Parts: sequence; structure tokens; C-alpha cells
Amino acid sequence: MQFDFFTWLAGIPDWIYGILQWIYHLIMGIFFWAWGVIEWLWASVFAPESFMFLFRAVLFPGLIFVVLTLIWAVWFTRKLWGRIQDRRGPVHMGKYGGLQLFADAIKLIAKENIIPDNAKRWMFRFLPGLLLVVVLLPFCFIPWDFDYWFIADLSVSLVLVFAFLTAVPVVALLAGWVSGSKYSLIGGFRAANNQFAAEIPMIISSVGPAILAGSLSLMGIAQAQTSVWFAVLLPINLATFLVAAIASVGIFPFDAPVADSEIIFGWRTEFTGIYFTLTYFAEFAEQMLYSALIVALFLGGPVGLPFLPGAVNFIIKFIITFFFFVLVSSSFQRLRQDQIVHYCWKYLLPLALLNVVIAMLAIVYLPGIAALLPLGGP
Amino acid sequence: MSPDILDEAMEIWFGPQHVSAHGWATKLTLVGDYVVECDPNAGYFHRSAEKVLEYKNFRQGSLVLERMCMLEAFLAEYPYVAAVEKIAELEVPERAKIMRTIMMEMSRLHSIQFWWGQFNAELGFFTMALWPWVDREYSLDAFEELTGSRHTVSYSTPGGVKYDFTDKVLKQLDRAIKRFEDRLPKFRDMQMGSPTFRARTKGIGQYTVKQGLKWGLSGPPIKACGVPMDLRKDAPDPNLAYNMCDWEVPITENPDHPGESDALDRMEQRFKEAETSVQIIKQLLPQLPEGPIIDPKARAKANRLPEGEAYARVEGTRGITSLWLKTQDKAQTAYRAKIRGPCIASYYALKDLVPGAKFADFIVIFGSLDPYPGWWDR
Repeated sequence: MQFDFFTWLAGIPDWIYGILQWIYHLIMGIFFWAWGVIEWLWASVFAPESFMFLFRAVLFPGLIFVVLTLIWAVWFTRKLWGRIQDRRGPVHMGKYGGLQLFADAIKLIAKENIIPDNAKRWMFRFLPGLLLVVVLLPFCFIPWDFDYWFIADLSVSLVLVFAFLTAVPVVALLAGWVSGSKYSLIGGFRAANNQFAAEIPMIISSVGPAILAGSLSLMGIAQAQTSVWFAVLLPINLATFLVAAIASVGIFPFDAPVADSEIIFGWRTEFTGIYFTLTYFAEFAEQMLYSALIVALFLGGPVGLPFLPGAVNFIIKFIITFFFFVLVSSSFQRLRQDQIVHYCWKYLLPLALLNVVIAMLAIVYLPGIAALLPLGGP
Repeated sequence: MSPDILDEAMEIWFGPQHVSAHGWATKLTLVGDYVVECDPNAGYFHRSAEKVLEYKNFRQGSLVLERMCMLEAFLAEYPYVAAVEKIAELEVPERAKIMRTIMMEMSRLHSIQFWWGQFNAELGFFTMALWPWVDREYSLDAFEELTGSRHTVSYSTPGGVKYDFTDKVLKQLDRAIKRFEDRLPKFRDMQMGSPTFRARTKGIGQYTVKQGLKWGLSGPPIKACGVPMDLRKDAPDPNLAYNMCDWEVPITENPDHPGESDALDRMEQRFKEAETSVQIIKQLLPQLPEGPIIDPKARAKANRLPEGEAYARVEGTRGITSLWLKTQDKAQTAYRAKIRGPCIASYYALKDLVPGAKFADFIVIFGSLDPYPGWWDR
């Protein structure tokens, strides 16, 4: 084909038009993409119902609220421990020592992170954060209120929460393993041992509420307690759950995993600075989670004083439950790890089973009780 | 022990950087959770006290002794003073004898209160650790008022004591004893009635009196076996006032295992020791005669001693504390001094006592014998 000057000349407008079209499509593409993003943002974030979901997930019953409660819980524990032990607890930073934890956290974060030579560096850095995340995630299933002020309601949330909680001692064991220290290793195995001892009584204790409510969802269990709290029907289960929860967290008197007079600080021995802060927070978050679970399973969740909002009722009961955690943890000598297994399996497990059986018999033979439950009476 | 068991063994250094190991280090060989070998090591707390004593004059020497064990400073400094008094043939005024005895018993009381808290801290019960330590402050206040120092008191001196009792000191002594007597029933109930404490200490670190004497134990660890071996009764010191009052040697006899003692018996024995101390103090306080507190010529006489040697001992809180002193004629310092602390025996007793015990019980056995590292590293 031969080059024809005039044909080439006649094609120039087409060529320019093509370029203009290409630019037009580019601009419009970008514009519609941006528009799409804005629409998506509107639909998922700023539309009133979506925005409020995010608000709940991030602010009020969600992350920020939980973290603030965590800070309060540390202060409350230290203050109460101080009162019980004939001393004052933190007093210097802020009013009543309220800012002590911020000061401690800033100090710990500013400290040098020492990673032992024998440690697996990547896992050593990763595990404390994972631990805190694993402990904080189940808070999204806590029924702070029946309508609106809760984050998520899943039909099997009770099982899911226990699934998350089982991962905690596994992380502790891994942390002990990768720390490259004998004390950490022993502490890690002791953490696994604690969970081995405490988990079965704890889950059996939570079977009672699940059966009575006919639901595996924490929300469903809480809703089933509008006429009678399960603490009335299952008082022994409440006690066994509390003890098993304390054993599972590994605070006094079940603190064999971090027994400071025996194995320095157990699986946390080698953690310094921010890593230590994370594991320290995770311990308190776990106590808080168990307190919230006890409130939801046994103490009626948001049910309470009718003139108060449900969430406020829940928080009052939560504080009282947490108080018991602190009280128990400052009143006994530490148990040896074989004694922990012994107590949990020999006493807690039969007691937990016994209460479930008694409650079932009561439902069958006392129709008045069954009428109070979602099962319905005759 | 077959060699293939030891293939699985793990060696652990308990100390010198361990939180419970304040100035000592013990190598433990673990198989599983059991200790199969225990190797106590001395030398981490060495202060060459015996050499220092060769450079101190006879009024300064007791200052070195009381730094051996600051918890029982009044008792620890006494053997040196007694040895100097023997060589110089000094007469001690009656008032000084009684004052010495009172302060020595106060020192014993305060040391037992400290041990009590420390042992509970080692058992992971920090509430019970801090409560006796609050009471201990009352004794320390009296010490400070009397001598100007809370721990390093330097009270006894050859020929008498350094400071006279003022009204305030007497009031504070009364207050300390009253406080102790008020709180004792509660403490006894909290300690001996605590199921977790019994679970941790019953049958732990059990030995017969024959073994104990073979290891060279003395004091509470032997008296807990039911043998009234007490220097205060067996060989009353003429310069002390133990025969001026009516008291029995406290012993603990456990009908379950006569002639043997475990950690629980040793705790019971410490209670009785403290009660006996209070009994002695309360009898001696009204008997205080008027008069000088020091022989006026003692200062001149103790300046340069004649050639001679003397052996002096005292029933300390932790056992028999003794000192052998040799002097040269007209020299200002001792030729040689040899200290025998009570705790070197109880520390090396771990070598036979610990193997077979669980790792978590090691610190219980150690704590129940109450060894103070100052006494074995001289």
C-alpha cells in the first residue's frame, strides 16, 4: 500500500477526535469510579444505619469502649488490691491514681524491646499482638442491650466465643516455646495445663444456660432471662463458671503459668516493653470478657432495673462480677498445677453436671419454673 | 536412677537473677515436673565479713555482724559482743541484760513477721504478705526511736547497751506487742485455716529430726519436729535475762508424723516462737530495774583485749548463731574471727531434701527453712 498524503490529511480530524474521546472516557471513568466510591462510602459508612453500626463497632459497645473499660479495670484491680492489702494503691498520677496506667503504658512503650538470641524473632514479635486481638474479638458478641446497643448477634456466638478463648493458652504456649527460655517454656506448658483443667468444667457450666434458653446465642440466652435469671436456677453453675474462668485466665490463686516466685514470670518472662504491655492488657481483657460472659449467661444480661437503659444495667452487673474476680484473686495461696487439675476435675466438673441435672428435674416436676422459661409451661 | 531418665533432664538455674533468689543460685535438674538433683551454690552474696572483722576494733565488730542478717540485727550482733565480754571479763549491769533480752526478742518477733510475709509472697498470696509487714512497721518504729536506725541498729556493745529506753520507746514497744496480739488470732485463722495453704505445705519438705541434726539444722526447723532444742533454755547466757522469766520452749508435735516436720509444722512453729517472744517481753518489761546501762569501765577495757579466745553463741531466729574470736595481747583488732551462721546448714540441706519434690514445691521447701543468704556467704 502506497502512502497517500491526502488520505492522511483527511484522517487527522478522526485522529484528534479519537484522542479527545480517549481523554473523555478516562476522565469519565475516573469520575464514575470516584462517584462509585462515594456512593459505596455513603451506603456503607455514612448512611444513618451503617454509620450507627460503625459507631457501635468502634465507639460505644465496641473497641474504644472496651479499651477504656480495660484501663478502668486495671486501675480498679490495683486500687482494690491496695485496699485489701492495707495500702493505698496508685495515688500519684491524676485523681485517685486514675492516670497511673497511662503513665505505666507510656513508660513501657518507651522502653527498649529486648529479644533473646534464642527466640524465634518473627513469632516473638507477632504473638503478643495476636493474643490481644484474640481476646478482644469476642467482645463483639456480648449482648450489652437487647435492641440496638449491641454489635453482632450470631446464632452460635457462645460456641464461637469459647473457640476464641481456647486459642489464648495456645498463644501462651507458643509464646513460651518461641521465647527461647526454659522458664518461659515451663510457663507455657503450665498455661496449657490450666486450660486443660478449666475448660471442660467451664463449658459444662455454660451448657445449663444454653439448654434452659434453648439457644446457643448469647443474645438468645440473655433474652430468655427476662422473667428469671439463670443464677436462680443454676447457682452452682455460676460458682463453677466463676472458678473455672479464674483458673482459665491464670490469675491468683491459679496463677501457676506466671508464678513469679517459681518461674519468674512464666511464659511472659522474656517479653519487654510494648510486648509485655500487650500481654498484660490481654490478661485483664480476658478477665473482663469472662465477667461479661457471666453477666450474659447467668445474671440476666441487660435485664435489671426497669428505669435504667439495658446497657447500664449490664455494666453495673459487669462491675460487680469483676469485683468478685479481684476479691477471689487476692484471698488464696497459689495452687500447684497438679492441684489445679485435681480441683477442676474432681470438684468443679461433677458440681457443674449436678446443677444441670437438678435444673432439668426441676423443669420437669415443677411446672411453675418451666413457665418462666422460653420452653413454656403446661 | 537409670541414666536414660537423665537424658530427658532439663537443667535450670534458680538464681542468681531469679526474683525469689535474692543473692543465691541453685542448680536444679528437672525430669518432667520433678526435681531429681539440687545443687545449692554459695558465693553470690560474699562480703568477706570475717576478714573485715580483723580490721575492726572490738566496739566496731558488732556492726559487721549485724549486717550479716539485718532482719535479726539485735540477735546477730550479740555473739561478737558476748565473745568480747568473755575475753575482757566484763560485768554487764542488770538493766542492760534485760534491755538486751527484750530487744533481742523484739528482733525475733520482727524477723518472724518478715519471714511470714515473705513465705506467703513465695506462695503467691500477697495480701497475707503485706499484712504482717504492716505490723512489722510498729517494731521498726520502736527500733528507730531507740537507736536511730530501722535495721542496722548496733545496740549491744561490750559491757552493756548503747541507748537507754525512753518513755516513747516503751510506749512504742507496748504498741507493737499489742498490735501483734490483736492480729495474731486472725492471722492464725487465715494461715492455718486456709485450705490452699494446707494443700501447698502439708507433707512438703518432710524430714525426721535425725536427718535434721545430721544436716546441722537448729532452731525452728528442729523444734518443729517436736524436739525442745533451744539455747535460751539449754545453755542460758549469764549476760542475758532468759532465766528471769517463766517460759516454755515452743515445740510443734504433729500426731500424724511424730519426730518429723513438714512445711506446715514449720509455719505453726513460727507462730509459737512469736508467741513465746511476746510472752518473754511482757514478763521482762516490768522487771526493768533502775541503774546504769553500761559498765563505766567497759569502754577502756574493750579497747585493747588480753590474748585469748572465746566462743559465743545465741539462739537466733533461724537457729544457732555462733562466733569464735581469737585475740592477740594488747592488739586493737581481732586476730581471727569465725562466724557460723544458722542458714548454711538449712541451705545445704536442700541438697538432700529437695530431690523427689515437684519443681513448684522447691520454693516452698526453701522458704519454710527460712534461709537468709547473708548467713552462708560471709
